[in-house]
Amino acid sequence: MTRVRQVAGAFSVALLLASQAFAGGFQLNEHGARAMAQGGAFAARATDGSALYFNPAGLGFQTTGSVYIGMTAITPAGSFLGPRQKNPSEKTTFISHTFTPINVAVTSPFMDDFHVGIGVNNPFGLGTEWPDNWVGKFLTTRVDLKTFFITPTVAYRVNDQLSVGAGLNYVIGSVLLERAVSVVSVALPEPPRVSMTLNATGVGFNVGLLYKPVEEIAVGVSYRSAVTIDAEGVASFRPNYAALSLPAGPVAASITLPSTGFVGVAYFPLKNLELEADLQYIGWSSYDELAVEFKANNTTSVSPKKYDNTFMIRIGGEYTLDMLHFRAGYLYDRSPVKTEYMEPLLPDANRNGYNLGFGYDVTDHFSIDVAYLFLKFDQREAVNTIPENSFDGTYSTYVDLIGVNFGYRF
Amino acid sequence: MKALKPTLVAVVVLAAAYYAGCVDAGPAALGPGLGNATVTKYVAIGNSLTAGYQSNGLYKSAQDYSFPNLIAGQLRLAGANLPTFEQPYYSDPGTPGADGKASRYEIISLAGPVIGPKGLAPGVPTNLALARPYDNLGIPGSVVFDLLDTTSFLAKAGPPRNNPLFSLVLRNPAFGNNMLSQAAALRPDLVTFWLGNNDVLGYATSGGASPATPTPPATFTALYGQALDALRAALPNAKIVVANIPDVTVIPFFTTLGPKIRPSLPAGVTLRYQKHGETGVATGIAPLTDNSVLICLTGSAYTTYLGRPSGKWYRDKGYPALPPGIDTTQPFGFHPQNPWPDALTLDADEVNTCATTIAAFNASIAAAAAARNAAVVDINGFLNGVKAGGYSWAGQKYTVDYVSGGLFSLDGVHPSSRGAGIIANQFIKTMNASFGMTLSYVDLMSLPGIPAPVAKAAGGLPVIPPEAFAELEMLWGAR
Repeated sequence: MTRVRQVAGAFSVALLLASQAFAGGFQLNEHGARAMAQGGAFAARATDGSALYFNPAGLGFQTTGSVYIGMTAITPAGSFLGPRQKNPSEKTTFISHTFTPINVAVTSPFMDDFHVGIGVNNPFGLGTEWPDNWVGKFLTTRVDLKTFFITPTVAYRVNDQLSVGAGLNYVIGSVLLERAVSVVSVALPEPPRVSMTLNATGVGFNVGLLYKPVEEIAVGVSYRSAVTIDAEGVASFRPNYAALSLPAGPVAASITLPSTGFVGVAYFPLKNLELEADLQYIGWSSYDELAVEFKANNTTSVSPKKYDNTFMIRIGGEYTLDMLHFRAGYLYDRSPVKTEYMEPLLPDANRNGYNLGFGYDVTDHFSIDVAYLFLKFDQREAVNTIPENSFDGTYSTYVDLIGVNFGYRF
Repeated sequence: MKALKPTLVAVVVLAAAYYAGCVDAGPAALGPGLGNATVTKYVAIGNSLTAGYQSNGLYKSAQDYSFPNLIAGQLRLAGANLPTFEQPYYSDPGTPGADGKASRYEIISLAGPVIGPKGLAPGVPTNLALARPYDNLGIPGSVVFDLLDTTSFLAKAGPPRNNPLFSLVLRNPAFGNNMLSQAAALRPDLVTFWLGNNDVLGYATSGGASPATPTPPATFTALYGQALDALRAALPNAKIVVANIPDVTVIPFFTTLGPKIRPSLPAGVTLRYQKHGETGVATGIAPLTDNSVLICLTGSAYTTYLGRPSGKWYRDKGYPALPPGIDTTQPFGFHPQNPWPDALTLDADEVNTCATTIAAFNASIAAAAAARNAAVVDINGFLNGVKAGGYSWAGQKYTVDYVSGGLFSLDGVHPSSRGAGIIANQFIKTMNASFGMTLSYVDLMSLPGIPAPVAKAAGGLPVIPPEAFAELEMLWGAR
């Protein structure tokens, strides 16, 4: 059973990443470059297609239909010093890749007081890759994730001050995971490597309201439900030493992604200045463990996670000068991962994000938004890591993101 | 247009921020080191565990992974000037047994599995010409007394020791007439010393039959104290690291067969075995549901005769006549008149004797080490922990199970190469703590596993022919 247990542990982060929206894991804030440039503090405004993520009620205050399309280039980089179990000063650096998720939103007014929209987020190929033969190869060598969030949404403008909205989130994801399998007993020409590909689907919903008590202030509250993801796929081993009875074949896993809530307050001191601060809560404690079932030998491998509920703070603002909008923001993202549960699969830590961006209204209808986010993870020491990992050391990570969106208002 | 300048500034700032973000993440690596210590010569003193003996033989591809050789490698990585660590190499497949063939066990057949020597021609010593003592002075079969014994080591190849490995390791009396004098001649500044295991293992592995008692604790205490005194006197400034003795219950030689026999006992039938000293009708009754009675691995070939009217044990041992009361028409092992033999069993008293003896030995070792400023590696505590919960390391899990656990070699007593790695890491942990070094640890999976036709890890009852244990008996035989 030991082998099987070791094999499946790596699967965890993928499904975690399946929801772009969540803190922890490689959650990044690329839901439209306008929001991204402002620390993602947008729930009390949600004035463009990214409302589909931040607050569906935001659609209710939009007066025209729109198309909002964009892409983000994400380049994580980082290193690990350790493990202390071997050499506390040995350094291994991620293999760096640039990932390019896209976001698309199409919205339209509907009847008098309704506004509908549908969007797709496609975070293409987020992941972590370590060198094939690094000392942690039995924990992970590669994780690669693709997801789609399809979000049909409707908002209703109750009155001049209040709008409410709701949407469905249909989640499609696929993940690739690779690592080496340790066979501690007999000598093998090379350790078998497992490669697992799983596809997952799930459904959730989100609701929100946006309230403007006076012209200068807006309050936004939104909630995204937990999403239960059912994933199925295949595990293959190479070389597949027949006599080791490695459980190649179908695999299945199910996890529940946590719910999240936003509360935001926006303040408009001047006609051309917008400021907002948001608090986001993420109920990660629902992610207690990841269980992967290997149908080939009817075993289930359980990897403990024991995530904590956590929060994010987002602050941002936008200053408009003619057709230009200058944006800046800051976010603080608290990690849900307990120190003892840290693993190279997902080198998580509290993060500080520094955002800058600008928008340019090319014409009355057409705009371009550009955003830059530098996400610096706290350097974090994994100590007394759980026996399944036994991998103490220091992680240092940062991520560079640059996002571009094109918007067209009808 | 007036917005152009701010636009350009914004673009430049963003671009600069993006490229400036390419900072090197993470603190600088410092590297392993020796702290304030210098190590220019490291010598290892001990028995088969120190020599790198594995799977019932001494052979180069195991000696390469002896724990002292692994420690020497980590010392080198930390900057020690140790260009070589010389060992008494014996080419593969290794040392010969009584039949003149290589005694090393291999996995012969997956069915079972069947484990034993393959009848190969033995190897030869390949490092005899070294013009000084070896750095690794581990002699399989040595006891604490041997450290100080000044009688001819060449004579130990004959009766009563019948152990030719003293000659292999010590070679020439001109180098010194025992491990202590040869070690001292090398003037090491670091010594590892691990003796005492054989003072109890001879008793234990023979099922408490021969010798009929372990070395008495009082004798052990005196001998161990004298040995460390002599070592310290010869090398007043050397760093000395000693290790203590593991419990027999962590060694798969003792713990493998019992749990495997138990499910095959017919309902309502318990094992009937001879208690300590019984030679005829047996009084021992063992349901084998716990570790109060242990079955030695030497019994593996006899498990197939359980429940059958068999006299094979008495024929194999060359009894001229059956002992009084024995009736081999009775089902072997299930009837008090044809019992499972004393020599293949550690009954509750024998297990207790081992436990109290080892506890006493370890107390002596701790006291002696403290008095002579030597560091102690608590191998006993460490292996008890591994037995209880396994040993996890960078995503790998090792246990004390026979073969599948990764730590023990095919004789069920000596560590495998990865087991030697774990032992080396425990020594390194102690050296780092006691001497202020920052040695890095050995990457366990970079060491080789047990050679096998790539196969299932042993799951069934291992079958090892009884003759295959002759070498181990020689190592621990009566003196």
